[in-house]
Amino acid sequence: MNPIFLFFHKTGSPPWFYRFSGYLIPWLWAIFIGLTVWGLYLGLFVAPADYQQGESVRIMYLHVPTAWMSMMIYGLMAIMGFIALVWRIRMMEVLVISSAPIGAAFTMIALISGSLWGRPTWGTYWVWDARLTSELVLLFLYFGVIALYNAFDEPRKAAKAASLMSIVGAVNLPIIYFSVEWWNTLHQGSSMGSDGPGIHPSMLLPLLLMATATKFFYGANLLTRARLLLVKQDHRKRWVQDLLSKESQ
Amino acid sequence: MSHTPFILAAYLIGAVVLFWTAVAPVIKKRTLLRQLKARQARMDKSQ
Repeated sequence: MNPIFLFFHKTGSPPWFYRFSGYLIPWLWAIFIGLTVWGLYLGLFVAPADYQQGESVRIMYLHVPTAWMSMMIYGLMAIMGFIALVWRIRMMEVLVISSAPIGAAFTMIALISGSLWGRPTWGTYWVWDARLTSELVLLFLYFGVIALYNAFDEPRKAAKAASLMSIVGAVNLPIIYFSVEWWNTLHQGSSMGSDGPGIHPSMLLPLLLMATATKFFYGANLLTRARLLLVKQDHRKRWVQDLLSKESQ
Repeated sequence: MSHTPFILAAYLIGAVVLFWTAVAPVIKKRTLLRQLKARQARMDKSQ
């Protein structure tokens, strides 16, 4: 079998996934911490203040990567939800459910940090602007997926409903992304345009470092949450019983 | 207007939210494993 197919085939097995992710998680956390320390140092102490926004531009090194993650995670949830519904792969259901709280956390940070940036820059914490409102809708969608999953007693049924909601809610993603073009908004255009970033390299490097760091945070946290959910769902199965006896020794 | 309080507040809130997001599943897993082990010990005793 092709090694890539073999890898995906193995990933579908909960015991194998549990073992493999256990090795991976410490590395993902280590890379996240390294990149975050480097990105924060450059963003907070080395990068210059913006000529228009002043020092408040430093909030961007948190706001922009978390806003990107809020959309990326929901997009991934929709893709994984589709795979879970069509091919009935249980691991995908687990990953959809495990992604939702992480996506909600990133969306919350994006909204709060954006609001704290808006006060000194726009003169207000909040406006019912298309970008801000659609991002708030995204937060409610994350809450909806989490609430829907917890509303069912049977985990497979719950996961199916949550997967379906992830797919339906994905319609909000292009609305968030194109809101600054479709409507006349207070929020500025994309930081990374199709004709390349319009940011000076001294500001771009910390932004990219923080954006990469958040991906590793997502990876490490997703695997940790997926492992928890697997143990919870499979606690009567042999592999969890073996795991418990191994840990008791 | 000084921007420092806004910057500090943004990073502080971000750190707290991310920290809780990272730590919550670890605490939940420890609690779950402890409960499962206690249940297994009870079952072994009763057999």
